[in-house]
Amino acid sequence: MTDAPILSVSHLKKSFGEHEVLRDISFDVSQGDVVSIIGASGSGKSTLLRCINFLEQPTAGTILFQGKNAETQWSRAQYHARVGMVFQSFNLFGNMSVLKNCVVGQMKVLGRARREAEEKALMYLEKVGMAPYRDARPAQLSGGQQQRVAIARALAMDPEVLLFDEPTSALDPEMVGEVLGVMRDLAASGLTMLVVTHEMAFARDVSRRVIFMDAGVIAEDGAPQDIFVHPRQARTREFLSRILQK
Amino acid sequence: MSSLPTTFFGWVGFILDKYGTLFLSGVGVTLLVAITGTVIGFVIGLLVAILRTIPVAPRDPWYRRMPLRVLSALLNVYIEVFRGTPMIVQAMVIYYGSMQMGLRMPVLVAAVLIVSVNTGAYMAEIVRGGIISVDKGQKEAACAIGMTHWQSMVHVVLPQAVRNIMPSIGNEFVVNIKDSSVLNVISVNELFFMSKSAAGTYLRYFEVFFITACIYLALTFTVTRLLRLLERKMDGKTNYIIYGSQSDSKASIVVPKEGGVPND
Repeated sequence: MTDAPILSVSHLKKSFGEHEVLRDISFDVSQGDVVSIIGASGSGKSTLLRCINFLEQPTAGTILFQGKNAETQWSRAQYHARVGMVFQSFNLFGNMSVLKNCVVGQMKVLGRARREAEEKALMYLEKVGMAPYRDARPAQLSGGQQQRVAIARALAMDPEVLLFDEPTSALDPEMVGEVLGVMRDLAASGLTMLVVTHEMAFARDVSRRVIFMDAGVIAEDGAPQDIFVHPRQARTREFLSRILQK
Repeated sequence: MSSLPTTFFGWVGFILDKYGTLFLSGVGVTLLVAITGTVIGFVIGLLVAILRTIPVAPRDPWYRRMPLRVLSALLNVYIEVFRGTPMIVQAMVIYYGSMQMGLRMPVLVAAVLIVSVNTGAYMAEIVRGGIISVDKGQKEAACAIGMTHWQSMVHVVLPQAVRNIMPSIGNEFVVNIKDSSVLNVISVNELFFMSKSAAGTYLRYFEVFFITACIYLALTFTVTRLLRLLERKMDGKTNYIIYGSQSDSKASIVVPKEGGVPND
């Protein structure tokens, strides 16, 4: 771990009208960290991730990326290229082939030449095991396949940080494994990852740090064994016993 | 001079023989007005819808919000006026109005202008509907890899929106083939106008307009078929190739979209 955090969130707040979803969230993420964010539905996990990526405009607070203010010192396009996102519902571009999905951002945002972009796209498609399907349309693929393409699309932008918003929640149980497998490989490769997830096995075994959120605040933050084996807070214990019993 | 026909089909044949070229030239003008009117109307509608869907955040500065507000209000007026008045009336107002103001435009130019502007008003709403029907996640995904609003519109949202509204565009096209007939009030020599002059000579309105109806039907039917073909082309191939296999990296399998037998 390096000293300076790659991503630093401080005093982040987000309200939808009267409803305060995030109240004063602060945490740092170091280079190469794999952080799982867990918590009950409605605890603000996804909103936190969407605020970090400015898909939702935070009500207050600052986000520093590589020491620079993400909102004022980074151009939005450059920031988005470096902080990628994988969605629960995949959101592959429906009008493009698998390959084109992974190429379009590289060419339009990073200004790469088609040859280079296609080579890079194929390399990452290979990595997630989807290169054979490069000519297929998203609608022709299963959910697990789509999500693996979505991960390749995000990786093709060479992000420094990748945000995962419940990447396996929309998948059939038998497809969860293939996506988690890809994510496990990515975690091992040293990519900085923030993963909102309900997959406790992933949080416990793959991530190096677990953040437990409850009612818009970070209730507990620590190493997986601390959170899962010796949770300090009653609400963490209660959440874990509820979810692990299932 | 030979005697005039006595039966219905006798008259139909007689009129076709005598006025065939008249009908044909009417068809030509009708198609010209309908096609250019629909295409230009689509472009107008696309532009209007794009302008009306530019996102404005409350925290944007006033010099960004104000012009968009004003523009949006003006576009609303345009849409309301041209959707809320009959095209036959628009034709009279625009053609004779411009003439009175000293602008004498060729009647065909006026025809294309009227149909385009009228279609544009409808297309604006059709395209806007298409844009908002594209899943929000598509825009978010485009945004999440760094695309600007314009890039995401051009590469992701609009292609899907246009594909989805193809049936409505087809509707507009068919409507324009038929409704360009109202332009006979400003003496555009389209199919209806030509039919009227053909019917006038022998006062055979039934036979002539029977022919006219058949021609309109043939035109609209052909156009709907062609548009279906275009839609299918836009959907892309129904099958795709899986490249490579465990034993041979150059192998490929063609997978049909759904059901069916794979062919290789």
